Amino acid sequence: MSQTAVIHEQKAVPQPKQHGKPGGFLYRANIFTGLIGGIGAAVITYAIGDKLVPWGTQNADFSQVGLNALVFCTFAAWVIGFMVGIGAFAGPIRWALGHDLTHVDAEYMAGKGQGRMKYWKYTTDHKVVGIQYLIMALVLFGFGGFFAMLIRTELGATWREVFDPNFYNSLIGTHGIVMIIAMIIVVAGPLGNFIMPLMIGARDMAFPRLNALSFWLLFAAVPPLVLNLVMGGIRDGWTAYQPLGTQAPIGMIGYQVCIITFAFSTGIAGVNLITTIVTMRARGMTWARTPIFIIGTLAAAIMGLIWFPMFQYAQVLAASDKVLGTSFFIPQQGGSVWLYENLFWLLGHPEVYVIVVPATAGILELMVVFLRKPLFSYKLAVAGFAGVVGISAVVWVHHMYMTGFAPAAGYPFMLSTELISIPFGFLVLVMLGTMWRGKAWNRLPMMAVYAVIIDKIIGGITGVYLSDVPVDQYMHGSMFVVAHFHYMLMGAGLFAAMGVIAYWFPKMTGRMFDERIGKIGFWTAFLAFQVTFLSMFVAGLQGMPRRVLQFDNAFEISNWISTIGAYCIGIGMLIFLYALITSWRGGKIAPANPWGANTLEWQTETPVPLANFPVLPVVTSDPYNYGVPDPYLKVQEQLDQDDNETVGAR
Amino acid sequence: MSIETQADQPESPTNRPDSTHRMKEWFSRPYVRRILIIFIALNIIIIPIAWLVIHFLELSGGPASSIMEEIETTIFVFTLVSAPLMAATAAVLIYSLFGWGLIKSEEPPMQESPAIRTNAVAVVGWITATSLLAAFLVIWGLVELATITADSYGSTPSSQQPNATKPIDINVTGQQWVWTFEYPDQQRIQSDILVVPINTPLYFNVTSKDVIHSFWVVEMGVKIDANPGAVTNTGFTANKLGTFNIRCAELCGMHHAYMETKVQVVTQAQFDSWIREQGGKRTA
Repeated sequence: MSQTAVIHEQKAVPQPKQHGKPGGFLYRANIFTGLIGGIGAAVITYAIGDKLVPWGTQNADFSQVGLNALVFCTFAAWVIGFMVGIGAFAGPIRWALGHDLTHVDAEYMAGKGQGRMKYWKYTTDHKVVGIQYLIMALVLFGFGGFFAMLIRTELGATWREVFDPNFYNSLIGTHGIVMIIAMIIVVAGPLGNFIMPLMIGARDMAFPRLNALSFWLLFAAVPPLVLNLVMGGIRDGWTAYQPLGTQAPIGMIGYQVCIITFAFSTGIAGVNLITTIVTMRARGMTWARTPIFIIGTLAAAIMGLIWFPMFQYAQVLAASDKVLGTSFFIPQQGGSVWLYENLFWLLGHPEVYVIVVPATAGILELMVVFLRKPLFSYKLAVAGFAGVVGISAVVWVHHMYMTGFAPAAGYPFMLSTELISIPFGFLVLVMLGTMWRGKAWNRLPMMAVYAVIIDKIIGGITGVYLSDVPVDQYMHGSMFVVAHFHYMLMGAGLFAAMGVIAYWFPKMTGRMFDERIGKIGFWTAFLAFQVTFLSMFVAGLQGMPRRVLQFDNAFEISNWISTIGAYCIGIGMLIFLYALITSWRGGKIAPANPWGANTLEWQTETPVPLANFPVLPVVTSDPYNYGVPDPYLKVQEQLDQDDNETVGAR
Repeated sequence: MSIETQADQPESPTNRPDSTHRMKEWFSRPYVRRILIIFIALNIIIIPIAWLVIHFLELSGGPASSIMEEIETTIFVFTLVSAPLMAATAAVLIYSLFGWGLIKSEEPPMQESPAIRTNAVAVVGWITATSLLAAFLVIWGLVELATITADSYGSTPSSQQPNATKPIDINVTGQQWVWTFEYPDQQRIQSDILVVPINTPLYFNVTSKDVIHSFWVVEMGVKIDANPGAVTNTGFTANKLGTFNIRCAELCGMHHAYMETKVQVVTQAQFDSWIREQGGKRTA
């Protein structure tokens, strides 16, 4: 049944002649040298800059240009210093000096014989990078979730202001961007790195060092963002619309440095994922035999690679407005606020699909295993992903219907936005068809499938309202929008990620996931999610604007309900996290293939050896060889037989 | 030659049951019937939900303009049109959970489900149905957009009909964190609440002094961003007396939450006397 059928002998590859000897900085660099390098560089830059930069003399309108420039350079020094300290450039420098890495060096960099220390180093092994991404995503969800609780506390306390309004505005912005980053990496990071190469039968990613680079760039990008809260905050929401951003204090610089760095990280990861998937699939794994999760990851990587530079570019220009005193987005000096909005949403919308597409593909992958059925209409699923990738390029203006920058643009973009529901419909049919007449195995990952389909339908249908310009004229900027995108990103994205992580958890950690406690957490979070956001739809319909901290009495009841629901989501998530941590530390030891799945990652042993497979597998069939012949076909044949006999007799 | 070829072929056409027969057999299956019943029941449940949505929209006293009425109709129709898709998905989900059932076991279940790889009828049918629904939504949306655009902008001086009422121009300026309304044809009087006569077209020139705001007249269903350095336009004709809400719908800094005011829809006589009170004279 399994996808591996033919074992092909591996020939010894002659090693090229090596120059130089092992050792040096590469062996000593780890996260602590990184932190020393980063913080040291930042402190030195600040100290020198403080002496050199003439404070507040640049420009009458922008007396803070000097300070902004200083903070920008400090953050940039942190990122560069950290990357140098962790050893990101050790390999290239050695290469430039004429002695390349030896085989021993390469194995050391992949984490051979380092125990747990390898998770704290610039390790190139895709499995280590996957685990690092997972931890990073959990940490970011911790931050984002905590901010969400603070936001709901403010909105629930309708009788007073709990926080300073400026701090509240920073909270909503930081919650938004932290969660967006966490959602972007939570599936494509851990699973795209750990599972994807195993699933296609490769020994590693195509560019292992770039893989480590993409993770540690992400790591370096986060501190400037989170630090903004003690530096005056990002007071203009996660969208960082200008010119409110130009008014914002130095915390805004942290946001801009974070996004610029993070965009490098996603670009590098995107190139790596695409190259690996296209060139490194096992022998015999034709496109038609490639598991659907791989197709989904490819689709997300393509979208990220194409559209992230737009966001990065927007932040480079915005930072230049603050640091150099340019005026790209300052209308009083000839800039355009609409330019920023366009650049932002050119990524802003495809980014939603970068989040939802791999999560959906992961769900499809595990449905097949838990229903013991082939995927219904594989080609339709591929067409669905292709359609989403294609149309996602031309829908961004639906975030800008009400900006007034081009009222006539509403017509074509309403068309394209409503068209994108058709490829999404393909994916719904694939899910329903796979479910059709199957008996589902009642495990936690399968429960996530039901949860995600419900959320996706509610999120999809409320999205149909918002895609319509006249309705959006009422809904835009209201709580209805907030509830809608939480249904898509959290309901269809995060709950899918929870199911998908629970599914691949045994392979990644070597332990079984504690489903008893995990299910309690999952269902608490899921039900509380419905309460929170259905109630938020009501507030939006009544006309409550988003990003406010005080509001009309009419919205009180729905906000109280939302706040109670949000606390329950928090409790459910903590229970789920507890299950995750306890099973990781002391769960039941997992067999190599606990789900009886066919795809390649389950065919190698657990824990996965450094080179993944003893010999590279050869694929001889498609991965969805489950199921028995349809019993109804016999009935139908019998009926046809009878029918023919009757016809014959007549 | 041709006779030989025919003889070589299996007698597929005679063996193949006709489509009506197959459909009949399919609909006779117990699970298909039950799913259909759930599907129909869910579709019926959607209708009160659609009413509920409209009820929530109207809680604050709207609709107070033809634009908002159009919006409510659109929401109602979209809810009904989306219903079959939602109901079909939910019906299969419910039947999967409670009909086909779940297997509780520790080990991977040995019992396998039917290997349905694809089904041309289902795929073509689904694509056709969803495309038709999407086409309906698009066409409805385009027509509605044209309608509300005419309601908002149709009263501009350039497109004015000979005997149409002359619209009142109002300049709206957003600044952190107040709205200012200026009546240029009424001796440029200024006000921080919007007072408008009923059944008279209004035409707004919206701009901002500092950052982006969004001018949202809630119960009129009108919203347009107030951008610094640019003037955007919108308009409506109020058709209900009363006091309604104006809110800022774009984060604009510290006191964004408090950037709200009221619109008072009054009779023409009351409007004229309000203008006189403010120190101007009704000129038009």
